[in-house]
Amino acid sequence: MITLRNVEKFYEGGYGRTYVLRRISLEIKEGEFLTIMGPSGAGKSTLLSILGMLDGAWTGEFEFFGHQVHRMKPRDRVELNKKYIGFVFQSYHLIDNLTVYENLDIPLSYRNIKSAERAAMVCDTLDRFHIVGKRDLYPSQLSGGQQQLVAVARAVIANPKLILADEPTGNLHSSQGKEIMDLFKKLNEEGATIVQVTHSETNAAYGHRIVQLADGWILQPAATA
Amino acid sequence: MQDLRFGARLLWKSPGFTAVAAATLALGIGAASAIFSIVDAVLLKPLPFIQPERLAAIWERNPSAGRESMFVAPANFREWQRASTAVESLAAIQDTHVNLTGDPDGRVVAEELRGERVSAGLFAMLGVRPLVGRTFHAEEDRPGRADYALLSYGLWQRRFGADNAIAGKPIRLGDRSYTVLGVMPRGFRVLDPGVEIWVPLALDPDDVRASGLRYLEVIARLRADATLAGARVELETIGRRLEAANPALNRGWRPEIVSLREELEGRFEPALVTLMAAVGFLLLMSCANIANLLLARGAGRRKEIAIRAALGAGRGRIAAGLFLESILLALAGGALGVVLAPLGVWLLAHFGPAEIPRLREAAVDGRMVLFALAVSVASGVLFGCIPAIQASSAKLNAALAEGGRGGTSGAAGRTIRSALVVFEVALAVVVLVGAGLLMRSFVRLRAADPGFRIPDILSFRLPLAGGRLAEPGRRASFLAEVQARIAALPGVQSVGAINIMPLGGLSPGTSFTVAGRPAPPPGERPMALLRTATPGYFRTMGIALVAGREFSPSDTAQAMPAVIVSRSLAERFWPGGTALRNHLIVDNLGGREAEIVGVAGDVKPEKLEDEDWPTIYNAYPQAPAPTMTVVARTGPPPPALASAVQQEIHRLDPGQPVADLRAMDDVLGGVLAGPRFNAALLALFGCMAFTLAAVGIYGVISYDVSRRTNEIGIRAALGARPSDLHRLILLQGARLAAYGIALGLAAAFALTRLMANLLYGIRPADAWTFAAVSILLGGVALAASYLPSRRAMALDPVAALRHE
Repeated sequence: MITLRNVEKFYEGGYGRTYVLRRISLEIKEGEFLTIMGPSGAGKSTLLSILGMLDGAWTGEFEFFGHQVHRMKPRDRVELNKKYIGFVFQSYHLIDNLTVYENLDIPLSYRNIKSAERAAMVCDTLDRFHIVGKRDLYPSQLSGGQQQLVAVARAVIANPKLILADEPTGNLHSSQGKEIMDLFKKLNEEGATIVQVTHSETNAAYGHRIVQLADGWILQPAATA
Repeated sequence: MQDLRFGARLLWKSPGFTAVAAATLALGIGAASAIFSIVDAVLLKPLPFIQPERLAAIWERNPSAGRESMFVAPANFREWQRASTAVESLAAIQDTHVNLTGDPDGRVVAEELRGERVSAGLFAMLGVRPLVGRTFHAEEDRPGRADYALLSYGLWQRRFGADNAIAGKPIRLGDRSYTVLGVMPRGFRVLDPGVEIWVPLALDPDDVRASGLRYLEVIARLRADATLAGARVELETIGRRLEAANPALNRGWRPEIVSLREELEGRFEPALVTLMAAVGFLLLMSCANIANLLLARGAGRRKEIAIRAALGAGRGRIAAGLFLESILLALAGGALGVVLAPLGVWLLAHFGPAEIPRLREAAVDGRMVLFALAVSVASGVLFGCIPAIQASSAKLNAALAEGGRGGTSGAAGRTIRSALVVFEVALAVVVLVGAGLLMRSFVRLRAADPGFRIPDILSFRLPLAGGRLAEPGRRASFLAEVQARIAALPGVQSVGAINIMPLGGLSPGTSFTVAGRPAPPPGERPMALLRTATPGYFRTMGIALVAGREFSPSDTAQAMPAVIVSRSLAERFWPGGTALRNHLIVDNLGGREAEIVGVAGDVKPEKLEDEDWPTIYNAYPQAPAPTMTVVARTGPPPPALASAVQQEIHRLDPGQPVADLRAMDDVLGGVLAGPRFNAALLALFGCMAFTLAAVGIYGVISYDVSRRTNEIGIRAALGARPSDLHRLILLQGARLAAYGIALGLAAAFALTRLMANLLYGIRPADAWTFAAVSILLGGVALAASYLPSRRAMALDPVAALRHE
């Protein structure tokens, strides 16, 4: 599903190049639940951004569902993002002046889906995540766990093949975190490929294997959790 | 005091913000102060007379004949003087032109002067004392003894070297010697501007013919216990009595009294109030812009405010500190505005139409500075209160929490900022619609057909009465010689003359009857303007001759009287037929029958917006007027021939004054000066409004994009293409503009009705103007949102997601 070969990311500075990622070669299979771990500054979030097509300034080769991403124009990469990818962030990143319903609708609004169909999908998702009662609330009226639940719902509403989660429980207490991770596990079992970045060994245990990063390098061959 | 120092230091440490805010405010306050000084000079300051509130002007009106504010017949003036108890004193004025033909030292440099014949008691009634000498005594205001003159300050300076001993010295006016009694103070005028000499009116009660003509302006001083309304009722009663006593003169006529202030300033009030309202709106727009800047700044200072609150500052103290900062800023803007205002005052006073009374007296004075100070403080309160309240009442514990959980907040003041921009756009719509209406009206006025061809006409006035030319025959032959000589000049195509030029004024007029038809009673006879023209006049002016012929040299004093009538008169009395060869009995031509030999197109007698006035032209030799205006159609530009024309006349008579030598385009320029001034000024304000609205929208959208960086990153991560983000931001600007435009159009619809009498040829709710302004402001809103939207498109989603 995803193949990275010698992917590198660097910044040009006054003293030469500063590398964020070095010679990253990685294969992710469809249906896999992969965990990326490593200390702060190791390049975990950067790798996730590259996988999510948010970052286009890198070198190397990147195949995604048969598409040669490294040869694609930025506009086409956005199309891949829209078609295949859902994002979950550590700090939820809900839009404060939109209601829960409206937040869920955002990804659909960028995908040429008719409004009646969008409404049906949002209602299904509200139902599926048991947040129908929160549909007209604003993010500031929700607890952290509820906000992250909405964020996950938003990530999956367009039925992505790949869910990228950047420390999804980082701002939650343990019981809330467990609920979210159980949800990821369930989504994975339903067929979604999941790549998560985490510092938590507990969360890592939900995945099939772990990739360890340090100073931009993959430290060891991908280990099975 | 500590808050004041702290506020001043903060402003000093943000020079960019302070400079932009103060400059924005300075423009608004400067413009408002400049217009205020004009309004103050023209409308607010009391008239320069003693107890001016008791002064009034009295006219005559005949509603059934559609005549309002007409001159007064001397017979009626005397009756009012005798019978009115509400009026303490009355004085009459007759507009005139006199030839100054000799200085006290005997030097002869003939010059035509605009003068007034006035009742001796006028100056005492107004309470105006002369600068030099004295005014007229009652016994000097009698027929045959009225050889006295008062000089204007300007004439005294220009022709008499500001001679302090001028009183008692002789001068020659026409062919008579007059004694100068004194000099009036600088700027003195009663009803009309530009008067340079006053002589006694010397009404002759025994002159029955003159007593029945309407040619006087009347000024009244009411008794201390009388009111204008009371005087109006009394004069109405007197008018009814006079109608019964003298129906030949007064059938349908009544006195009409208005306060002198209303008479002098009333017609300028709508224009000045419109301009004042426009600058008021500009100032409000400036305030809205600054309030937005302060709100944005307040959002950036939330942490500082939270710390101050944590250290014990109460909400009131925090709000007061922020408020003081706003007042300081407003005072800085006000001070800059006061520095800019003199330039505005100078421009307005020098380029404004001369007809506006006391416009030239507008100056930067204590009243204007006080106004600027008051406006500054009011502005500071206006733009300072919302940010101060908003910043001080925010949930301070949220100052740190906000954004900390990855939200897209900072939207706390967003609604207020958006509302301010909507308000600002609405004000801009009102100002721009006003400007658009006046500009379209001016264009229509400029394109109005005056009834003659304006380009390439040189005109000048020749005062012919008196001296060698006292005898009408000599006058006619002198004028004929002048015309012949000018016609012989190279480049001159044709020459003619008339007593009153088109656009030169309404008077004189006459009543008349159609020979062979039943004559209405004297008071009900139709009226027409009466003009005296020479052969070649219509051809030279390019006035269409609808039927018949022009005057010819055969229309001599001895020949059958011939008249040419205007098309409107012909159509009224001979609808569908021909007026030619019919006869009129023109009362002011001695009641003689005159044959209609031609029908000419209508011309605008006074203003371009005038309706068609029925007009009768008679042949000059048959009723020679004392002053004629000669017109010459030229090949070269008219000014190039000016000196040659003057030389030819002085070769004929070195003592002959030549007045108002100018191109017809300049005459038109004078007529259009008022509307052009209003349109130009409002257009300038429109440009300022346009800029302020653009800056306001840009500021809000730009600030919003910076506050929404995180949201933009989220949207990009959720699949938004750059074009989606571009559209998102553009639509935000468009939405604000749409609300503002809708609100502004409704307000403009209500307010522009008040401008109705400033408009010519368009309605206050002119759909084109409203549509054009909407499109223009919609366009500017999109343009102002474009740059921030480009910035949003260029944001790196990864960096944007990290942005807090």
